[in-house]
Amino acid sequence: MRYEIRVEGQLSEPLTEAFPELDHVVMSGQTVLFGQVVDEAHLYGLLARCQSLGLRVLEMRQLPQ
Amino acid sequence: MSAMSESEENDAERAVDADPQGDPFLRTRFVVPPRPVAFLRRERLVSHLDRALRTPLTMVNGPAGAGKTLLVADWAAARETPVAWLTTDAAGQRPGVFWAYLLQALRASGTPLPAGIGCPADAGRAPPTLLARLAAELSALERPVVVVLDEYDRATDPEIAEQLEFVLHHAGDGLRLVLVTRTEPLLPLHRYRAAGDLTEIRGAELAFTCEEAAALLELHGLRLPEPATRGLVERTRGWAAGLRLCALAARESPDPQTYLKEFEADRTSVADFLLAEVLRQQPADTQDLLLRVSVLDRFRPDLVNALTGRTDAEPILAGLCRANAFVEHLEQDWYRLHPLFGEILRAHLRVRSPGLETELHRRAARWLRGSGSLTETLGHGAAAGDWQFTADALVDDLAIGWLFTGLRSDELGELFSRMAPEAAGPAAELVRAARELSRHEVDRGLGHLRRAEEGLAAELGRTATGTGTGPAAGLGELLPGAPDPTAEWSLSGAEPALAQARLTCALLEALAARLTGAPARAELAASAAETLRDVVPAHLLDRHPELIALLLAHLGSARLWAGRFEDAQTALTGAAGAVAGASTALAREDSLGRLALIDYLNGRLAGAERTARAALTETERYGLPQPAGSGMGRLVLAAVAVERDDLGRAQALLEQATEPHPALRDPVMEAGRAIATARLHLARGDIAAAFTSAERTVQAAVASPWAAGQTALVVSAAHLADGRPESAVKVLQALPDAAPACTVASARAELAAGRPLAAIDLLDRLRPEDRGGPAVTVRALLVRAQAADEAGDRAAARALVALALREARRDGLRRPFAEAGPWIRPFLGAPTSHGPATEAHPRVRPADGPPPPVVEELTGRERDVLSRLALTMSTQEIAADLYLSVNTVKTHLKSAYRKLSVSRRNEAVRRARDLGLL
Repeated sequence: MRYEIRVEGQLSEPLTEAFPELDHVVMSGQTVLFGQVVDEAHLYGLLARCQSLGLRVLEMRQLPQ
Repeated sequence: MSAMSESEENDAERAVDADPQGDPFLRTRFVVPPRPVAFLRRERLVSHLDRALRTPLTMVNGPAGAGKTLLVADWAAARETPVAWLTTDAAGQRPGVFWAYLLQALRASGTPLPAGIGCPADAGRAPPTLLARLAAELSALERPVVVVLDEYDRATDPEIAEQLEFVLHHAGDGLRLVLVTRTEPLLPLHRYRAAGDLTEIRGAELAFTCEEAAALLELHGLRLPEPATRGLVERTRGWAAGLRLCALAARESPDPQTYLKEFEADRTSVADFLLAEVLRQQPADTQDLLLRVSVLDRFRPDLVNALTGRTDAEPILAGLCRANAFVEHLEQDWYRLHPLFGEILRAHLRVRSPGLETELHRRAARWLRGSGSLTETLGHGAAAGDWQFTADALVDDLAIGWLFTGLRSDELGELFSRMAPEAAGPAAELVRAARELSRHEVDRGLGHLRRAEEGLAAELGRTATGTGTGPAAGLGELLPGAPDPTAEWSLSGAEPALAQARLTCALLEALAARLTGAPARAELAASAAETLRDVVPAHLLDRHPELIALLLAHLGSARLWAGRFEDAQTALTGAAGAVAGASTALAREDSLGRLALIDYLNGRLAGAERTARAALTETERYGLPQPAGSGMGRLVLAAVAVERDDLGRAQALLEQATEPHPALRDPVMEAGRAIATARLHLARGDIAAAFTSAERTVQAAVASPWAAGQTALVVSAAHLADGRPESAVKVLQALPDAAPACTVASARAELAAGRPLAAIDLLDRLRPEDRGGPAVTVRALLVRAQAADEAGDRAAARALVALALREARRDGLRRPFAEAGPWIRPFLGAPTSHGPATEAHPRVRPADGPPPPVVEELTGRERDVLSRLALTMSTQEIAADLYLSVNTVKTHLKSAYRKLSVSRRNEAVRRARDLGLL
């Protein structure tokens, strides 16, 4: 399954590197992380990673295949 | 039971140790974090938090860096009575570890807990009775104890939440629980909320107001006009960490106000931006240090120096701490990074110096190894992928036992399961051998063990003995034609070189010997271990009491298999008396179970029961999971229940004693299970099943005299029950050397075969000193009584039965009377006016127990006939009613008379009524 996670602000390079499995794009002051998510555990892991890096998650949704 | 109370004292002593594993590194988890210099107390939050003293549950939640921990720490430090503080960590994700730490936190806070409360010994499990005991203790407290669980979000296991809820509920007014967490806990918060039992401080309330932000900035030496502060609060949404970083960044800049304007306008994620800014402003050395320590959970200056290769950690850390930047002070000279900044710094480290992380883990592991913190050493060694080093560290610390037992066994097993196949060296092979043996993969375990031994022998400049198969000696029991089993093991000897590895080797040898039923091999390993015990550093043995406990348990079990009961008892008693604690719980439980088996085999049921119960108490106190405990205690209790003719209980116990810990599933266990099961079948009259269970072969290097004897006992009894006395005699005659129980059984079989003289002769030849316990002597008396009865000497028979009853009383033995046969009936039930039998008999019967057992069950047809007999129907009438021939009815009647030990109609009816058969 593919997901995108929209977080507030532009992420610096080191921080995007903390999500090596996801691509990212910056748009209108937000960063969209997107890509293949293996399973639920991975999904919750990504959310926890955002939290532990102090990122503010604005939106998360599954993408059509 | 003085040994028991002694170990409890030891338990209490260990309680002073802040960590269940005795690891000083973890002490920092029980410390209320100190407040930094520039900490701002916010009264509105403190007074809200004061309500925590009146509600059972308090939850402080908010994102990382919201100031949760500092708020609660400041509040906790102001309490009159100490607060129990626990910073949950990754290991705390397993319920067993979590509760072990929580108990420790309570003790560290001075909350009195009795030593007997227990402690989890398995990472994955907290004993339910422990939780109940804890709740009861807390509810009895005069003043409630406040327990703070910081970083509770890391305890993700739903079971922990359930257990906390249980304890909270049952502790009543004795417990005030404060959860500090980033995510909502899995407790039923709505219920607490509805009942007014919840104090809640959430992210919005934690956010700084403009006034508070201004005060905080001022503490950091930054005075701003009101609009600037407001802008800052808006940009950071009152986020404590953001404000702090902002203050630090602005302070360093030449024009703070302009700088803050820029920050307001910037669209970068707040923490990311600010951290990069603040980091950039630090001197290069400091930046480097911060990035490097990001791989550590906790650190002190020496350790940091090891990572940086410099010597300036102490002043830099003190400076950072004073500036309230990134680094938090824990206690003494321990520090940690703020969790949020640690994450971000690690991300920076990976980008700036790819590959350095591995090297840093390697350096940390090496430093920590020297400082005696094994768990951390192993963690960093594994993270560095340096398996040879990691295995060495485990073996050198004499910690191999942790792979089998104790709180860390799962964690360590998981850690070493990642070990690269190319990792070489004796230590790596020892770890592999231990892992295989712990899963009962004996052949594979032995393969690794052999390679380890070859490696060690080579390092010692020796050749592995004989065929180069290491403990070749012991293998004599496995391979015909292999060297003499009494030969010296090539790794024994008192020189200090590689002593820990050789002792580890000896432990695994003993385990392998136990699993394969090879006593000589176990002896060899044990005598090598005996020498090495004096060579290895004493403090390591003290730190790892489980090593010797396991060794003795293995040795004792191997000796037990060989039938050397007294030697086995010596070793097992040693293991059972090991220092109480989570790490030795399994070995102690295992040894107690086996001591109980020896009592049972000696015919001493009361002793067997007592010891087996002590084994179960260990299991229960330390929460050894049912499959992982040895389960021997239950098997013995089941066998004891059969002897007491409590078959339902025996069945239930056997069902509970399912799978033992794979590393303890040895021939003794298999034989014990086979015997208990076969005896139960026999008692139930299911002779075919008894045969099948008794004759199940147990794989072992050498035969066990008692296992063979017990099998023969069951088989001969089955033959007797089936009316084949000659076969019964033959089975027992085939035994090479007969235990007293077998001699008595032989006598009984001879008597059944019509040779009373031979029977009495056998009994007379038993020497008084090895007559065994009541289970044996009572049976011997009954054989004599039966012989007397058959000889027509009813007075002698009565006296002997009376003696047997008296002897049986203390152990509650009933089975020998039940299996004796119908002849005994008149001596048991008859309410004659005199003679010891009448006074003894009722005591054997439990007050609420069933009536005296019918020796052989009546068949359905016999019952049908009897019930019609009770209606005073004639034989012809019964025959007509049941569509049977008169002769068939007569046969049924005769058979029923025999089983009821009666000779006339009205006697039969009366007796059947007495027995509740009608």
